[in-house]
Amino acid sequence: MEYSAALLDHFRNPRNAGMMREPDGIGEGEYEQCMDLARFYLRVRDGRVEEARFQAYGCGPTLAACSAGTEVAAGATLEELAEIREARIEEAVGGLPAERRHAAVVVARALQAAARNAMTRRDAH
Amino acid sequence: MNRSVYLDHNASTPVHPEVLQAMLPYFSERFGNPSSVHGFGREAREGLETAREQIAGFLRVSKDEIVFTSGGTESDNLGIKGIAAARRSGHIVTSQIEHHAVLRTCEMLETQGFTVTYLPVDECGMVRPEDLERAIRPDTILVSLMHANSEVGTLQPMSEIGRITRGHGVPLHVDAVQTFGKVAIDVDAFGIDLLSFSGHKIYGPKGVAGLYIRKGTKMAAVQHGGDHERRRRAGTENVAGLVGFGKAVEVRGREMAGEAVRLTGLRDRLWEGIRARVDEVRLNGHPTLRLPGTCNMCFRSVESESIVLGLDLKGIATSAGSACTSGSVEPSYVLVAMGLPLDWAMGSVRCSLGRSTTAEDIDYVVDSVVPLAAKLRALSPVKA
Repeated sequence: MEYSAALLDHFRNPRNAGMMREPDGIGEGEYEQCMDLARFYLRVRDGRVEEARFQAYGCGPTLAACSAGTEVAAGATLEELAEIREARIEEAVGGLPAERRHAAVVVARALQAAARNAMTRRDAH
Repeated sequence: MNRSVYLDHNASTPVHPEVLQAMLPYFSERFGNPSSVHGFGREAREGLETAREQIAGFLRVSKDEIVFTSGGTESDNLGIKGIAAARRSGHIVTSQIEHHAVLRTCEMLETQGFTVTYLPVDECGMVRPEDLERAIRPDTILVSLMHANSEVGTLQPMSEIGRITRGHGVPLHVDAVQTFGKVAIDVDAFGIDLLSFSGHKIYGPKGVAGLYIRKGTKMAAVQHGGDHERRRRAGTENVAGLVGFGKAVEVRGREMAGEAVRLTGLRDRLWEGIRARVDEVRLNGHPTLRLPGTCNMCFRSVESESIVLGLDLKGIATSAGSACTSGSVEPSYVLVAMGLPLDWAMGSVRCSLGRSTTAEDIDYVVDSVVPLAAKLRALSPVKA
């Protein structure tokens, strides 16, 4: 399986890995067919993501896409993140082999869910 | 600088230098068609028949009982379909952990009216002889069981299996692709009528394999054409490859016993090293009755492919038990048949050792696995 240098770098040195205490939003994404699971935690300031962290269970591309996803999320508005596309995640890891596109799917789903959760919490205040 | 450690010998092996040397003339000056009557043909025929003698001698069978094929898959197909074609209908017994070459052949035969019993295995991956005894019916035409499974390496109780099939007068086909040239096979003591074996698992080239067919076994050809291989398998033989196969078998005759002892020691060193330093791991397969070089482990709450990729980045080649194909997970059907829970089965990694493996390699692998497993578990929201 050929992986991009960016993907391998994220896999080797995952950014923002681990849970976050008292996040402003949490969201999970699952890809049922392969049981991959991504969970994102968001810290939000003035409507924008200040920091994103992740935990994940899955193959190498999924772990790498999670790491890249935290960088994509940082600086985005919650509204933008709630609409994030799989293509944006795939681009952030330098592309994915056709058989591993689920990595971008699971990460996009989890980031969308985390953004929606943060928006719900914000609107409840 | 990473070491380069190849621990995927059950998938394939490098061609032994002596094998390569033996093969080379058959690509150029000895290129003839072994069916031709002229000198070039005779020269090729001589190489082919020497290989047949080397392999027959290794198995202690007659050279007329060896049919050459293009691979283990073809050997399995020929053995099973050949019996089925000769009998036209009936019942076949196999197991749930066979190679796909056997399983899918049996499934295909089911669509043609044959019935098949897929025997379960115990938690070590072993067929229970009493299950086989119960499964055999008056219309059973064949029992096809592998000698050792490629994933976990558990050796099947062949003597007992053979005693049962002989008692019932049912032909026994054994897929020995993973054991041929690695552990002793006695076709008479095991009561084997058909035996599949392959070249590239034992430092021979890819694309060459064989099927032992005991004299008197009633079977039909499944590939038609010329009169090659005593009309049992049509098609010009891969002479250069088979010359290499013969040489590979000759070398195994010298090296097999010593290497089995050495690899068993290294295999156990690997498992003990990992078990001592990583929590929530388990060894799959029989603790002792398994292939010398095979060590299949499960890391709970970690996904196989992430371990394999992590090790690959350290220069270590292993194999994932669960395969993520086209975005859908395929937990190993072998581990599932052995009753492993999914959260274990999803984290299986197979290390298969070989001639080049050293103790230093094993220590490097252990030292690489320990932090990798810890790192992947730290990332995981699924806790062991």
